[in-house]
Amino acid sequence: MSLLIVNTLPGDDPEALNAIDILSRDSEECKVINAYEMNIRPCIGCNNCWLKTPGICSLKDGYEEILKGYLKYDETVFISGTALDFVDHRMKNVIDRVLPLATMYTTIVDGQFRHIPRYDKKFRFGLLYSGRADRKYLNEWFDRVMINFMGESLGAFPIEEAKEMSLCI
Amino acid sequence: MHLVIISGAARPKPKSNTAKIIEAFKSGFEEKGNTSEVWYLSDRKQWERAAKAFSENDNILIALPLYVENIPGILLEFLSDIPPKTSGKTRLSFIVQGGFPEGSQSRCCEKYLETLPEKLGCRYGGTLIKGDMFGLGLLDEKNRQKLLKPFTEMGRYFSEKRYFEKSVSDEFAAPEYMPEKQIKKFNRFGQKIQRLFMGSIAKKLGCKGKLDAKPYDFRRKL
Repeated sequence: MSLLIVNTLPGDDPEALNAIDILSRDSEECKVINAYEMNIRPCIGCNNCWLKTPGICSLKDGYEEILKGYLKYDETVFISGTALDFVDHRMKNVIDRVLPLATMYTTIVDGQFRHIPRYDKKFRFGLLYSGRADRKYLNEWFDRVMINFMGESLGAFPIEEAKEMSLCI
Repeated sequence: MHLVIISGAARPKPKSNTAKIIEAFKSGFEEKGNTSEVWYLSDRKQWERAAKAFSENDNILIALPLYVENIPGILLEFLSDIPPKTSGKTRLSFIVQGGFPEGSQSRCCEKYLETLPEKLGCRYGGTLIKGDMFGLGLLDEKNRQKLLKPFTEMGRYFSEKRYFEKSVSDEFAAPEYMPEKQIKKFNRFGQKIQRLFMGSIAKKLGCKGKLDAKPYDFRRKL
């Protein structure tokens, strides 16, 4: 099993470093991308990744490495800060930029429209958060995110429960 | 009544569907002498004045595109830096617009928006949801106005009520799910039409590849 960790907390954050240590112990291969330092920009909704340069984001800020990582590694865990009882804007910017993984085309699944995935891969994403947040809601939100990308949520856990997250991987 | 409207869209104003919706809503809202001011978060130079307007006014409406089941990162960043209000007088309402046609697609976001005003020291003024807005910027003027007209009507409604009643916004968000008949129709013809339509837009935009291209399919290249 290979694991991608996208850390949106500062690279030297002690909680993040501890969580990365726990998560990487049982992985055959583990790559960490410190996205905080990359300062990932917000998706500008240009739709180029759907209609002009299919699968390729027009913003050139290093996010391409993360996109490739989603595809290369079996699972992805995001490490996030929180704001207003939700993930913080850095994490939201990272997740808002996943659109190139889907195509513009839609289909109907379980009575709802979904984008047809671009790649033949069932993504398995999990979330570790540091700070105050509504855990129940975060799990609900993350489930929805993964359903819409035809993937599977590994769950949303407080960062101190990194061990529990590692059991889901 | 004076209303502060904040656009939480990251797309620049000239190409923003949210901006078009705000304009339509505003025209209905101002018909009987109400006033409003609009701030666009896509322009970071407006953030300081938008934050000031948020803190100094009691009627606030945030309009946003649905981004991966919740508010866009850019709006979250703006709101995270705003000091919570203490007067208890401010009412905060929302308009959420999305690409998929069903109202049910925005319910996860709505659930968060129901709790957000309290975190900012405000009261909740309801959420107006509307799907099927993806094509707003691609339509000709006549069809665009057809899609925008209901927002002008809701602007009139809001000028009297000052909030979105749940029953009214639920009706506005319809269909909650696509009727079975339309699902069958889409499965039979819709996907083919969609491919032709999207293909022609892509061509106009200068797209040279296939819309379902897999630029990072490293497994295929091995």
